[in-house]
Amino acid sequence: MAVTADIDGAARRRFRIGTRALPYLLSLPALLVCIGILIPFFTAVYYSLQRYRLSQPWAREMNWGETYWQLLTDPSFWNTLQVSLAYTFFAVGLQLVLGLGIALLLQERTRLNNVVSIMLLLPLMTAPALAALMWKLMTNPNFGILSYFVTLLGVEDFRWASSPETALMTVVLVDVWVYTPFIMILLLAGLRSLPRQPFEAAALDGVPRSFVFLRITLPMLMPYILTAVLFRLLEAIQQFDIIYAMTQGGPGNTLMVFQVEAYLNFFQSTNVARSAALLLILWAITFAISNVFIKNWLRLRERARGEI
Amino acid sequence: MDHASRLERILRGIAIAAMVLFFMFPIFWILLMSFQTNETILRNPPSMAFAPTLSNYAALLTGRLDTAAGTLDIDFMQNLKNSVILSVFSVAVALLLGVPAAYAFARHKFRGSEDIAFTLLSFRFAPPLLVVLPLALYFQDIGLADTYIGLIWVYQLICLPLILWIVRGYFEDISPDVEYAYRIAGHSWFATFRRIALPLAGPGIAAAGLLAFIFAWNNFVFALVLGSADKQPVTVGALAFVTASGIQYGQIAAAVVLSIAPTLALAIYAQRYLVEGLSLGAVKG
Amino acid sequence: MAVIELSDIVKRFKDATVLDGISLSADEGETLVLFGPSGAGKTVLLRLIAGVVEPDAGNVRLGGRDMRDVPPEARNVGMAFQNFALFPHMTAYDNIASPLAARRSAAERVREGVERVARLLKIDHVLHHSPRALSNGQKQRTALARALAGSPAVLLLDDPLRNVDAKLRFEMRLELPRLLAAERATTLYVTQDYREAMALGDRIAVMLRGRIAQLGTPEEIYLAPASLEIARLFGDPTINVLDVTPERDAEGPFVRLSRLRAPIDPGLDRAVGRPCALGLRPEAIRFVEAGQRGAIPVTIEAETPLNEKTVTLATTARGREILVSRPSGTSAPTEGLAHIAVDSAHALLFDRETGLRILPEGKRADVRGAAA
Repeated sequence: MAVTADIDGAARRRFRIGTRALPYLLSLPALLVCIGILIPFFTAVYYSLQRYRLSQPWAREMNWGETYWQLLTDPSFWNTLQVSLAYTFFAVGLQLVLGLGIALLLQERTRLNNVVSIMLLLPLMTAPALAALMWKLMTNPNFGILSYFVTLLGVEDFRWASSPETALMTVVLVDVWVYTPFIMILLLAGLRSLPRQPFEAAALDGVPRSFVFLRITLPMLMPYILTAVLFRLLEAIQQFDIIYAMTQGGPGNTLMVFQVEAYLNFFQSTNVARSAALLLILWAITFAISNVFIKNWLRLRERARGEI
Repeated sequence: MDHASRLERILRGIAIAAMVLFFMFPIFWILLMSFQTNETILRNPPSMAFAPTLSNYAALLTGRLDTAAGTLDIDFMQNLKNSVILSVFSVAVALLLGVPAAYAFARHKFRGSEDIAFTLLSFRFAPPLLVVLPLALYFQDIGLADTYIGLIWVYQLICLPLILWIVRGYFEDISPDVEYAYRIAGHSWFATFRRIALPLAGPGIAAAGLLAFIFAWNNFVFALVLGSADKQPVTVGALAFVTASGIQYGQIAAAVVLSIAPTLALAIYAQRYLVEGLSLGAVKG
Repeated sequence: MAVIELSDIVKRFKDATVLDGISLSADEGETLVLFGPSGAGKTVLLRLIAGVVEPDAGNVRLGGRDMRDVPPEARNVGMAFQNFALFPHMTAYDNIASPLAARRSAAERVREGVERVARLLKIDHVLHHSPRALSNGQKQRTALARALAGSPAVLLLDDPLRNVDAKLRFEMRLELPRLLAAERATTLYVTQDYREAMALGDRIAVMLRGRIAQLGTPEEIYLAPASLEIARLFGDPTINVLDVTPERDAEGPFVRLSRLRAPIDPGLDRAVGRPCALGLRPEAIRFVEAGQRGAIPVTIEAETPLNEKTVTLATTARGREILVSRPSGTSAPTEGLAHIAVDSAHALLFDRETGLRILPEGKRADVRGAAA
């Protein structure tokens, strides 16, 4: 009685080699992307330790940490850090408040709420650079509808992104317009996935709704909030598209955030070393943020599960 | 909310209306602008009453812009074409390479797989310029600067990790027993991948593909650094167009509408997939 | 001829040794039950035979052929999973057809094959349903049908009745032996239910902690368990275990039960003086009138009718709990004081230290394949 088809040695070897090599073969593209990321990364580290200007190739030499030292003693670097942090803080803070509010408003699965949440998806699907362009048109001093509204309110000569006083507010507004829906979507998914029992029990006991929100909803939602905020923080501190499309970092250096500064250092002053050093400092900041968050996130998720 | 008070219902209604107004108005206003001539755009006070014109779109499509100062050649359609080429091919390549890789990650815990996963994860939020600026110098040396192939390669930096993360999650959700059952029934590894794993992860692959397409379409910085005018997508092109066309606001608006229309249409058409992909991409990432 | 031959199989997952030197063989057409508590390694063993898990050491031979590096699709086995593992995106028909389709059989042959097993398992009316639309019982039958459809030489059934309700389990327990006999496949059947094991197995391999603790016919394992642990796993209500130290007098070896002398098998003479555990099946104990020879006084605590039998919980004067089983409908005291008598000659004696059974001398031949 033949239990198996006859299998010769070669086929077995083929099978053995095949099964062992297959996972590696399949993950080759991922490996290539890794290499595609790691090579430029280490190249950037290398550049940052040199004196390296594209316009002065003859002066290129290792200077070790000097570029970083120059950065840290340069007020414009501290301006960059300050602007980046301010941008991040205001943008993400506003988005969190608005996103949470909207998610709570739309929590129930009614037809209206579904239509509204699809509508809110649209700003998120707009390219940030194009969104900045749209807002640039809307705040144009000659015909911009927002400029017109402001004059209706009696404010004359409100110059939005062109004025150092209001430039930050304007780009934050664009960021809020684009990314609030992201927080909203995550929190809405979170809210809708919360178990019902604690809420039903609280309703039966007549617990006040503010108490329910602060002591039940918010703690259970915390893992989602942290995830959403982490994503937004990491993107906001690196924001390039909106600011570059809106003002290229201006007016003056009002909006000179990390990546814009690095880009201009590279292409305008051709200072490759300084550009690389700036980006590596930014990378270190994002790395630190994500580590802190991931630790908290894991702990909170455990706790949220425990309470359920 | 059966026991919500009347006041509360009214407040809710106002809040929702304000929110819809804030998020929809810019799109609506740009859309209106794209059907206006410069004269009606520049009216003060602005008015909703105007005779809609298709001249802005016509100018973009024909590539000729007739102004008082003379005729201007514009190449916005080339940007649109570039966007399509870059996004479609980037996603196709990313799916072709990423889906099998995601399967390998999900099913085989082989040596090094965690290292690859960790590298991709920790660089997922690295500043894009950190990778792209050195690449720009390399690309100059190897002749990939300003080519579609070079750009599609760089686009893999966003598309491939996205597809890997999302699709891996879907593959992990398939019970290995279902695949074993198919193997034991007499089917090869490849047949099992094709007939069991792929169809069952189908929704995830669709979600990841859509999301990757939108990310690729909306990307700005890669082409800004690595592409010259004739390879640049709409995101970069529209910005250049503003500078080139000066005060042709109607055409700028029309260009913006054409640039955002594909992703917005996709969003409406496939919103459920997108929401799932976004949530999953965030939570599993 | 042995269709399944396993020799010295070892499988480790990380630090845990899941299978620790398993050797086993099953003859053509035989149904061999792998019985044991969860975590004993039964499922891993099945997967090893199916080829979806590879052994760290040892050898799997099917039909006389070494299966090293033979992929699952080339082993000609059929397997039913505990969680059914149906293909959710295919109809029941396509699920069952999958082994036939894999051989590129003609459509007509596939249809015949599917309908044959579907009729056998009484699911011919739900073939066009998707798994989602099937009841649990239908899912389980579909999974079985799929395993059978290719007429495999080896059939691996991983606790297929685990996830179905009690009524269906009972029906299938009656139906399966007929089905397996009709298929003439060599079957390995995994279960945690000793009754299922006894009802279905030509032989039973008791697996404990990655080893085969005993291999024998259902009767052998029930009547002559190799260790106390096995004795406790087989039988419901579980076997009574009393701590004793056998003694000897002129009449031969005996144990003291409530100060009464209870004779044991003369062949157990060598157990005298050793601390032992005496295993008494609840059906080996009966109620007797007071004053009868060997009667032990007990207090009745509770009575539980279990369909065909009734189980009484009683305590002895020293507070030891004893379960007594009798056929339902027979009369017995239901409360207060009563007396029991023990058929001590058939009692099982285990070494208290090792848990292994002490075999009566001269009867060793009765028990095949004792503890590993």
